[in-house]
Amino acid sequence: MTEPVLSVRDLKVRFALPGRPPLRAVRGVSFDLRPGERLGLVGESGCGKSTLAMAILGLLPPTAEVSGEVRVEGRELLALDERARDTVRWTKVAMVFQGAMSSLNPVVRVEDQIVEVLSVHRVARGRAARERAGELLEQVGIPARRGRRYPHEFSGGMRQRAAIAMALACSPRVLLADEPTTALDVLAQAQILELLERLSEQLGLAVVLVSHDLGVIAQSCHRAAVMYAGEIMECSDADAVFARPRHPYARMLVRATPTLDDGEPIAAIPGAPPRLDARLDGCPFTPRCPHAFEPCRDERPSLAARGGEGAVACHLYRSAPAVAAPQRETA
Amino acid sequence: MSFDLVTRPHASLGGPASMRARALARVRRRPAALLGGLIVAGFVLVAIAAPLLTAHGPGTRVGPPFAPPSAAHPLGLDDGGVDVLSQLIWGARVSLLIGFAAAAVSMLVGGSLGLLSGYFGGVVDTVLARVIDYFLVVPVLPLMIVVAAIWGPSVLHIIVIVGLLLWTTTARVVRAQVQSVRERGYVRRAEAIGAGHARIVVRHVLPQVGPLLIANTVLTVGVAIFAETALAFLGLGDPSAASWGAMIEAAFSGSAISAGAWWAIVPPGLCVAAVIIGCSLVGVSVEDALNPRLATSHLSRRTFRLIRDADD
Amino acid sequence: MRGLDRLLRLVGAALLTIFVAITINFVIFRAAPGDAVSNISAIPRASAQEKLALRHEFGLDKSLGEQYLLYLKQLAHGNLGESFSSRESVSHVLVRAIGNTIPMVLLGTAIAIALGVALGVFAAYRHGSAGDHVGVGAALALYALPTQWVGLMLIVLFAGVLPTGGMQDEFLIEPGFWSHAQDVARHMVLPALTLGVGLLGQFALITRSSMLDVMGEDYVLTARAKGLGRRRALTRHALRNATLPLVNLIALSLGTIVAGAVLVETVFSWPGIGRVVYTAVSTRDYPVLQGAFLVLTVSVICCNLIADLVVLRLDPRVRA
Repeated sequence: MTEPVLSVRDLKVRFALPGRPPLRAVRGVSFDLRPGERLGLVGESGCGKSTLAMAILGLLPPTAEVSGEVRVEGRELLALDERARDTVRWTKVAMVFQGAMSSLNPVVRVEDQIVEVLSVHRVARGRAARERAGELLEQVGIPARRGRRYPHEFSGGMRQRAAIAMALACSPRVLLADEPTTALDVLAQAQILELLERLSEQLGLAVVLVSHDLGVIAQSCHRAAVMYAGEIMECSDADAVFARPRHPYARMLVRATPTLDDGEPIAAIPGAPPRLDARLDGCPFTPRCPHAFEPCRDERPSLAARGGEGAVACHLYRSAPAVAAPQRETA
Repeated sequence: MSFDLVTRPHASLGGPASMRARALARVRRRPAALLGGLIVAGFVLVAIAAPLLTAHGPGTRVGPPFAPPSAAHPLGLDDGGVDVLSQLIWGARVSLLIGFAAAAVSMLVGGSLGLLSGYFGGVVDTVLARVIDYFLVVPVLPLMIVVAAIWGPSVLHIIVIVGLLLWTTTARVVRAQVQSVRERGYVRRAEAIGAGHARIVVRHVLPQVGPLLIANTVLTVGVAIFAETALAFLGLGDPSAASWGAMIEAAFSGSAISAGAWWAIVPPGLCVAAVIIGCSLVGVSVEDALNPRLATSHLSRRTFRLIRDADD
Repeated sequence: MRGLDRLLRLVGAALLTIFVAITINFVIFRAAPGDAVSNISAIPRASAQEKLALRHEFGLDKSLGEQYLLYLKQLAHGNLGESFSSRESVSHVLVRAIGNTIPMVLLGTAIAIALGVALGVFAAYRHGSAGDHVGVGAALALYALPTQWVGLMLIVLFAGVLPTGGMQDEFLIEPGFWSHAQDVARHMVLPALTLGVGLLGQFALITRSSMLDVMGEDYVLTARAKGLGRRRALTRHALRNATLPLVNLIALSLGTIVAGAVLVETVFSWPGIGRVVYTAVSTRDYPVLQGAFLVLTVSVICCNLIADLVVLRLDPRVRA
């Protein structure tokens, strides 16, 4: 098995709030990402998926307290100082944010924003940088000369594509895409997903696609990880999660996802996610789970590969034959 | 962006009352507001207790002009041989009175006009917007000078003049706030069920506008004192009311500088500055607490902390 | 074209405001209580006949409406009337005065912008730390000190070193251009510094506020994510976006600048328009006062227009 390009071990993030109990946004997440693999992180708002993505790049605010390990090509990132982390950012791991209108500087030309990364990370300078920026834009389907325009002159889909071009400027190994298709119309959405798939195949780029839309992830990702209340509940092949979801939450999520051919009624999930500032013993989904039984309230189920098809964190599957959880590759 | 939901998940919950309560808690937590409040309160107390704190009435001559500081007179004497320290304490009465009264005038005029304009809109609003625009471009201090010169100097006149020329900023702020409140769900619902204007204003609009108005008025006190000081310096203050501004003017025209009598100049200026700083601290803190800026700054030097286990 | 449309709209609005200002100006000064003529101190015991003749000469015996039209006509010819006290053309008086005020005010404002913006950025960059608190404290202190007091303090401090009154040395006879310029420059230092110090505090607070607003924007986060480092994110991304609203906010403080100029010119006996206003008030010289007011108001309107045009030019979001 090839070395994972991104390796996350027991990542926990909590936010210290003045005068209130701390908010535990991420409660122990582990996964590996192989080169060229596309992993989808799916869950409701507030489940911690965006926080997880930010944590990988070290973009958390000063109120955040983090524990665990994040390794990119074997190099641990969380313990680095800012200066060292700046050399890793964009060159090894790049990010595309939700809503590219606000993530692109409105008073700087698009091309210049790409040239800037090339220049700061010493990839190219001056004329060469401008040419490279043009190539990158063409790669995402934007004519190179359009780069001289400003972000507000682009449509939403084009802006997102420009953001992807900018993200690829320094040839990173990992691309984090945080809700890249939300706030886009269906057509632009499809274009972006197709683009991500194509680039990932062509360049061997590993992608973490964060979305609340299971359909998006089922379509473009190899694997899917379902998050709830800061933990991964199920992590398997994307098709398997969509067609044969095992975790009760994943099941309800799939049922709640509208598909064209079904005719089945969309079933909303009753109840609400737990408050993140309270201590949670046991499985966080217990209050809303129709299958909750005795061990669920007190014992937290571990995410382990069971029954040959991916990993699931649920006591219902305790008796199924266990496969060893992903071991940490010694660096 | 995404952090607001994570760091303040319950911020948008709760109606206007709980938001106000949270705002009040935020103000109490800020040392700047407390410090400012203490400063202003301190000066007000001194002004009220003036007869108890001073040995003589205001303007009583106790020695030769510009006598230097001594044990009996810690801040020396001014150009009229009056004890500077007691003059400072008596002057606090005048300066603070003018400042607060002028700010009150400004609050009443600006507040009501802003309320009417923001609530009713239409012609009233258009006219008011033009008037406010005019006051933005006309040089305010020269206008005050002209009116003061024509009308004649007296404390009452100064209060009215300063108040009537500072109302525009208050009106602008109130108008914007009233307009935004007016569009909110609960106001529209109240209108739909036929509640009268007075009732809507009193029950829904005022509680939302009130705190902002107060914050603005506190800031106006500072500006009013500044304006009074300027008018006094230009000889347009009430000659019988020795405010801090008048003390600076007296020092200037009495050639305190050539006499080397810094003690006649420094204290009143510092007092004016102290009160204005106090008002600014309180006013800005309240404003910030009411319209909290997102706590996120992506440029802070401190970053997240790496700890052993982020789960206990 | 969007840009041209906005430009025309801005210029049109400015012209309208100027016209309104002219009218209000007229109303204030002609409708002022106390007949202007009876206040002319130059005529100690004029006979009723002489007073009548004077009224006729100054056009004060016509109806208000006629006076208004006459005023507009004269204005169109650049005629602002004659000073009551010196009989000099008001335009001459004002042009000379403005010519003295502008360099001094420009110097002071330039100092205030340079130092104020720097202090504001400094405080915003160190938001939450001691540096921020110190910066804000310093800015507040400078903002709160009365301008005339600062002037007096500077006189006390620099009395022997720099000239403290007037615009030039009265004893220099027939100075050459350079020594005259040097002399004026030396006299300008303290008044400009006084003006600048108060403005500096205000600009620092405005800049800090503007920067804090921008520092939470998404593109600043993106800049950090790109590995650009704090400083570059500050200068190339945050500052660039904060400058636009800053230009407008600075233009809004023109009223403070004018007020400061009046006080500073009084303290330092600087022969500028501030002092002209002051003397005209004490001598009830209405034509001069009216003219000075008009000039000041129109200047502020024009400066606001320039600021709006600058923003229009700089902001790519509104350019055609």
